[in-house]
Amino acid sequence: MRRLAVVTLLIAAAIALASAAVRDAKAAAVVVPPDPSGLDTMQLVSNACSKCHGFNGVSTSPIFPILAGQVPGYIESELKLFRQRGRSDPHARAFMWGIARALTDEQIKGVARYFSSQPAVKGTGSSNPALADKGKLLYENGAPERDIEACTVCHGHSGEGVNTQPRIAGQHRDYVAMEMVQFRSGLRENKVMQHVSEKLTDDEIAALVEYISTL
Amino acid sequence: MRLARLGALAAFVLGGLALMLISAPAHAVPPFARQTGLACEACHTVPPELTPFGRRFKLNGYTLTTRPPLVSDTDDHKKNTLWLSDLPGLGVLFQATYNHYDRTPPDSAVPGAKSQSENLEFPQQFSLIAAGAISDHVGGFLQMTYDQPSGTFGVDNTEIRYVDHTQNNDWVWGVLFNNNPGNQDVWNSVAAYPTLDFSNQSLWSAGGAGGAGLSSPFFEGLGGLTAGPTAYIWYKDSFYLGISAYHAAVSGSVTSTLDSTNLNVGGGALQGWAPYWRAAYERDWGYNSASIGVSGMNSRFTPSLIAGQTLDPGYVNRYLDISYDWQYQYIGQHNIFSFLGRYTHENAEYDPGLVGTFYSNSSNHLDQWNLTGTYFYNRHYGALVNFVRTTGTADVALNGGNGSPGSQYEVLELDYLPWLNFRFILQYNIYNVVKNNQNPFILLGATNPRASNNNTFDIGLWMDF
Repeated sequence: MRRLAVVTLLIAAAIALASAAVRDAKAAAVVVPPDPSGLDTMQLVSNACSKCHGFNGVSTSPIFPILAGQVPGYIESELKLFRQRGRSDPHARAFMWGIARALTDEQIKGVARYFSSQPAVKGTGSSNPALADKGKLLYENGAPERDIEACTVCHGHSGEGVNTQPRIAGQHRDYVAMEMVQFRSGLRENKVMQHVSEKLTDDEIAALVEYISTL
Repeated sequence: MRLARLGALAAFVLGGLALMLISAPAHAVPPFARQTGLACEACHTVPPELTPFGRRFKLNGYTLTTRPPLVSDTDDHKKNTLWLSDLPGLGVLFQATYNHYDRTPPDSAVPGAKSQSENLEFPQQFSLIAAGAISDHVGGFLQMTYDQPSGTFGVDNTEIRYVDHTQNNDWVWGVLFNNNPGNQDVWNSVAAYPTLDFSNQSLWSAGGAGGAGLSSPFFEGLGGLTAGPTAYIWYKDSFYLGISAYHAAVSGSVTSTLDSTNLNVGGGALQGWAPYWRAAYERDWGYNSASIGVSGMNSRFTPSLIAGQTLDPGYVNRYLDISYDWQYQYIGQHNIFSFLGRYTHENAEYDPGLVGTFYSNSSNHLDQWNLTGTYFYNRHYGALVNFVRTTGTADVALNGGNGSPGSQYEVLELDYLPWLNFRFILQYNIYNVVKNNQNPFILLGATNPRASNNNTFDIGLWMDF
């Protein structure tokens, strides 16, 4: 009997400790609520997005892109692509097809606004300045003789993104590399990026990734 | 001597029943994928091992869903009072093996005769699973399993949990009820949630030894014999603390309250409430995830050593198990490594009324190391190595022979997954040390028996859908 009392007290203490620390509790891990318009942006971010991309849009694993400071139009267009299964690279299929399948346009806009307003992060920097310099040349000038446009046209001089074209500054180095390879192989569909990347060699992709990591 | 043998047989029964009632965990289930729209790889490196996302999904009560409700209701305050998915969270798990003994086992009844050296289990395990969100705060995992070695179909791992969290997810807290201590955990390094799909102990029950030839800490065998509540908190995706209390809840009880009949059904029963605790710390960086943790259980247990024994006054043994575990995962774009391990120390104190007959000593200790390494390429091809070594106090009455409870074995495994929910396994089980009075080859009267006689080669299939 005494043991039961001790155990009960321990459990009660654990619950009380948790409850005391969580007065701002907001519930529900549903992405689609009983009333579809009832789940606001913060609930969506909290229940779904943050599990991979971080609550502030800074993901831990390079498998998942950093969304903090991302161009809102880009987040919106990608979420709509995921929703209609118009983007079929492996991680889009594995993760985002499901997450985005029932999002409303309003919810997509809200999520895009939220992450784009989070403070952007800086790149990790380069440990190979020579390679980064080579990448910088290609990034800023392209290779006109091979019909490769400069990256600045769409991504901006500092990688900040232009219009609905994505911010790549501060992005995980490995994520950028993976996307470039997937554009080149056609695994990730995007006419512009496929056109550019299919002419790039492995060394050139490595140089670009090295430079982008300094932005 | 006869009593000692009875004790050993009782241990067999207990081990066998525990195996019969609770099979290997099966948390890699399609109902979750149907509910979330996420592929298996979101939650699993390779099932059943969880990724950091999978741990968060479970700690949040399996409630993440992207399916619109078919039926929903709210009260006057717009609070959700009913939420039913348009799709019931049902799934099937199927596991089959063909295994071959290095040495043909003796016949179990006819002296001098031999049995077959192969064993086909199709299925080895067949489970029906209902899992997923029950409401926006409640989720469950309910499993019914047919187990070929026991030939029974019954309740397997069962859990229902209520969860809530702060908006920024810094604090997640929950309360759950389950029937297998440790199975609520989210790190695969704990005892109740092994990374091995194909339990080599199942081969032991096929050989007639019910798994008891391999010593294991007491609290690892309580699945299906207990049930109880757990309260937990999860802070900043890093710190976990859970406190549980388990009570005897014997599957197949034939009386409404626990009495001597139920003792014999379950091989014994917990007395009162046994506290179980768990603390862990996880850190994720880049492709890496590492964790360390400790878990423990303090149990009072009445064994069914004597037929017709009554609970009052009853005999009560006390077990204190403490386990330290650690896990490292590298989950890359193509390559996935995992290194899991745990060390468990157990102190057992026996009822004075049983010492001298069933136990030589008034107390014993047991120490076990369990180390596992896995590698998978593109989640298609993989390999696994598992090493388990158990040592402890020699107790002739309990263990027979020289009294040593020691055992040691290794598992070498190759895997091929054409699809993530379909896994072929080639496995070789190597036994270096077996508790010498519980080696089936000794029990069945084989000449010159050795631990290595139990070595087996398995071809296995695991799938769920």
